[in-house]
Amino acid sequence: MLRRWGSYTDLDTVLIVHGGREADFEQLPHPHKVLVSDSRFLTHDHQRDKQSYGPVLQSAAGWLAQRDFSHVLYAEYDQVPVAQDLLSLYRRRLEDEQADLLGMHLRRVDSTSYPHYLYHAHDPAFTRLWSELSVREDKDVVLSMLGAGSFWRRPCFDAVAGAEESVPVYTELFLPTLAHHLGFRVRGLPDQSPWNTHLGERVGELASAAANGAWTLHPVKTLWSASPGAGRRSLSTRVQDRLSRSAA
Amino acid sequence: MKKTLRNIGVILMRALGSDLVDAETGRVIGRALLLPWRGRIVVLGLSPEQPVRPVFVTQERLTYWKQEIGFTAHPPPDFTSGRDSDDNPHPPAA
Repeated sequence: MLRRWGSYTDLDTVLIVHGGREADFEQLPHPHKVLVSDSRFLTHDHQRDKQSYGPVLQSAAGWLAQRDFSHVLYAEYDQVPVAQDLLSLYRRRLEDEQADLLGMHLRRVDSTSYPHYLYHAHDPAFTRLWSELSVREDKDVVLSMLGAGSFWRRPCFDAVAGAEESVPVYTELFLPTLAHHLGFRVRGLPDQSPWNTHLGERVGELASAAANGAWTLHPVKTLWSASPGAGRRSLSTRVQDRLSRSAA
Repeated sequence: MKKTLRNIGVILMRALGSDLVDAETGRVIGRALLLPWRGRIVVLGLSPEQPVRPVFVTQERLTYWKQEIGFTAHPPPDFTSGRDSDDNPHPPAA
């Protein structure tokens, strides 16, 4: 994984936030690494447990405090770069959009059928949270984006990382909605979103993604696994993928 | 097994359902089976990738006996910056 990222960027600019076993963390051959063991991050049923990336962002913000980076690319372990100049592409898009945060599959979900929204809106504290901290006129707006592949202007990243998560909110809702209500401009990446999806195993699409203008590809969970049959998918996964594709 | 059965159920619900047409734009925004149940409408098989909002559809002709509930979707988020501090690289136009 480090070798791959190292061919796209200077590894001295890469921080690994590890949520796995401590023994594996110790063996990571990289100087910039943080171990996160917060139960709000290490959830099992991420959506129902309202997984938080807060501990990850806080760790990263602490590391960044001593460095003068202007932007942050947030990638998950099963997301890989495929465009050689992906950081320039992200930065240029951020400037073109005059945005503070770019996210995959960004959508507005308040008052909709979106399952994560309906699950959270059942708790009055969720609505109260935004009305208490928002600088916006419309305090009902709720946004959602994919957890992987977001690109941040540093002030936006620091502000969101530094905010207290007084009510548990699933990270895909929390990050873009908080950034929006703090006054930052959040925009989507509609051309990149099809290459970065929630479900499936896309390791077989690396070449076509690179040839068709993708900047990153997600998810590629089996790319780092050498176990035989790692690329084999269950019937359930294949049916789920088919449903996702037909919906898209 | 449970997940496979659920997925097969979703395929069936979509096959039996109908396209949801955006009440404002006329665009197809999803497919689902709609069932009235205890004073509510249950939406079955709709993809989470296409979140929709229920709306009463406007009518060209005034009728007291019939109204229609349709669906619409939010446009992609495009809110201007709401920050006016010194760290705002793109303040709103004066």
